[in-house]
Amino acid sequence: MSAPPISTTSWRRRTSLVLALALTLPSMTSPLAAYAVPQDASSSYLLIARGGGGGGARGGGGARGGGGGARGGGDFGGGRSGFQNTGGAAGLNRGTNRPTGGWSQSVRGNAPSPGLSRPASRPSGGINGADRTPAGLGGGTRTPGSLGGIDRTPGSIDRSNLGNRSNLDNRTGLSSGDRSLGGDGTFNRNGNLNRANLDGNFNRGNLDGNFNRGNLDRNVNGQRVFNGNVNSNWSRNWNVNNVNLSPGWARPGWGYARPWGTGWYGGWATPGWGWWGANAALWGISTLTSAAVINAAVDAAVSSNTTYIVVPQTNYQLLFGTVQPVGSQGVTFLVQADDGSTYNLTADCNTGTIDGVAPNSAAQAELLNAACQVAYGSAS
Amino acid sequence: MTPLSTAVLLAFTFMPPPLLRGVLVCAAALLGSCLVPAAVYSQGQPAPSKATASKVLYTLATQCSLAGGPAQPCTVEAIDEGGTTIYRHRIGAQTIAVRITDSPVRMAIQSGTSTTWVPLRSAGALFSTNSICFNGRELCVVNPNYLNSVREDRKDLRLQGRDLVKVHFGPDGRVNATCYDEGCEADLR
Repeated sequence: MSAPPISTTSWRRRTSLVLALALTLPSMTSPLAAYAVPQDASSSYLLIARGGGGGGARGGGGARGGGGGARGGGDFGGGRSGFQNTGGAAGLNRGTNRPTGGWSQSVRGNAPSPGLSRPASRPSGGINGADRTPAGLGGGTRTPGSLGGIDRTPGSIDRSNLGNRSNLDNRTGLSSGDRSLGGDGTFNRNGNLNRANLDGNFNRGNLDGNFNRGNLDRNVNGQRVFNGNVNSNWSRNWNVNNVNLSPGWARPGWGYARPWGTGWYGGWATPGWGWWGANAALWGISTLTSAAVINAAVDAAVSSNTTYIVVPQTNYQLLFGTVQPVGSQGVTFLVQADDGSTYNLTADCNTGTIDGVAPNSAAQAELLNAACQVAYGSAS
Repeated sequence: MTPLSTAVLLAFTFMPPPLLRGVLVCAAALLGSCLVPAAVYSQGQPAPSKATASKVLYTLATQCSLAGGPAQPCTVEAIDEGGTTIYRHRIGAQTIAVRITDSPVRMAIQSGTSTTWVPLRSAGALFSTNSICFNGRELCVVNPNYLNSVREDRKDLRLQGRDLVKVHFGPDGRVNATCYDEGCEADLR
C-alpha cells in the first residue's frame, strides 16, 4: 500500500511554516507576534537600526526627548538601541489605564473645538502671552512719586530722539550733569553729561517707544515678595517622592483636562470671595493674582516640564499636579515653603481657609487663591 | 529527533490550515496570550467573538466633529474588552466606533451598522485642545480622559513637552511613522 501523493510544493510550505513556528514558540513573550510582522518589516528595521531612534523633528536626543536618547524615543523607543520594544511605542495607546483623578464624565465649559490645528503660537508658551497687568501681579504700588514721575506705561516713552547719540562723544564727565528729578515729574537730562566712554555707536534703539514692561516678571524686579510663612498646624515633611507630581491632566490643555467636574469657584474678583474683602486691608494688599497669570504660570511650568509654580508674590512653590478637589469647593495640594519643607494642605475655596484656619498673611491668601484657581478656575 | 517530536511534526504538517491555526493559537494560549493574534486577524473582518468580559470605563459627554465639520455634542463610551478598547462615539443618530489594540498599537474604525472593522490610516492627538482625530479629520473628538491616560502611561521622554502627536499606519495596520509638533509639518521625502 502506497502513501497518497503529496504535492511537493505544499509539503515544503507546510514544513517550513511548522518549523518556523516550532522555533518561535518557545521563546516568544508575545505569542504569535510573528504574525503581526510582515516579511518586509524586517528590512525596515534594518534601516531603523542604522538610523538610531526615531522621533520627530524635535526629538534628536536633546532635552526635549524623542529619539536617540538613553530611553530610546519616537516610534522605536524602549531600549538602549533605540528600536527595541516596538509594541505600544507610537506615543498613543489604548487609553485604558485609569489616570490620576479618574475619568471625567463631561468636558467642562466651552472646550476648544475638536481638531488638530495648532495655534500660531504654542498654547503652552506661557508667560509672554499672559495678562501681566500690574494689578494682576499683586498691584505693585508703583506710584509716580516713587519712580520719579516717569510714566512707564507702554508706548509712552518717546525716546525717538535718543536713537542717534553720535553727538555724545565728548561727554567727558558725569559729575557736572544736572540729572535732577523735577518736582513736576519730568526727567531732566539737560546738562553737561560726560560720556567719554560711550562712543558714537551707543545704541538705545531697543529702548524706543515700543519699550514694554508688560511682560516682565516683577517678582524678579523689585516687587514685594511675601515670605512663605507657615502655620504651626500645617503638616510638614511630606515625602514628595511618594506622590505623583505629574498626573495625566497636568499637561498642555490642563484646564479642560482636569478630570473633576466644575467645582465652586468665586475668584477673587467680582463677585469676589467672601473671605477676601474683609481681610485685604489687614494684609496690606489690594488685589490677588489674576486667574490669567496663574494659568500662564502653570502653562509655562508644563511647557518646561516643571512640577511647581512659584505662587506670585510669595516664596511658596505650589506643586500644581497634586491639586485635587475635595467635595465641590475644597482642594488639597502640596506646597513647598521657604523653610525647605513640603506641606500637605487642604483649603476651602469658599470659606477661605487653609487647614481650617483663615490665612494669616497676604502670602497665604495668595497661596489659597492659586490653589483654588488651579482646581476650579476657568481654563485658559 | 525523537520519534515523538517526529510524529508531532508530521501531524502539524498534514493538518488542514484552519485546524492548524486553532491548535497553534491554543498552544500560544498556554504560553500567555491569545489576544494579539485575535486582533490581528480581525483587521478588515467581522469582529471576533469576545473572549473577555466587556467593561465600560466611562461615558463622556463631549464634542465631536465629522469630516472637518463644526463641533457638535456627542458621547463617547469607552469599553475595555481585554486586549482592545472600543470607543463608541454617538453623534446625533450616528454611531462610529474606534477600536484600539496595544502591542503593537493598531486602530480600526467601524461606522453605522457595519460589522466590519476597517484599519485606520492615521490618528493624531493635540493635547492642548484635548482632541483626537482619526483618518485625518474624518472623526475628531474632545476626549481628555483618553489623553490623560496616555500621558500618564508615557511618562518617559517620549511625550514630555509634546503637544501634537500623529501616527500613521501601514498596510499591515501597524504604526509606520510617528511625528511630534513641528515634525508633523516636515517633508521627510
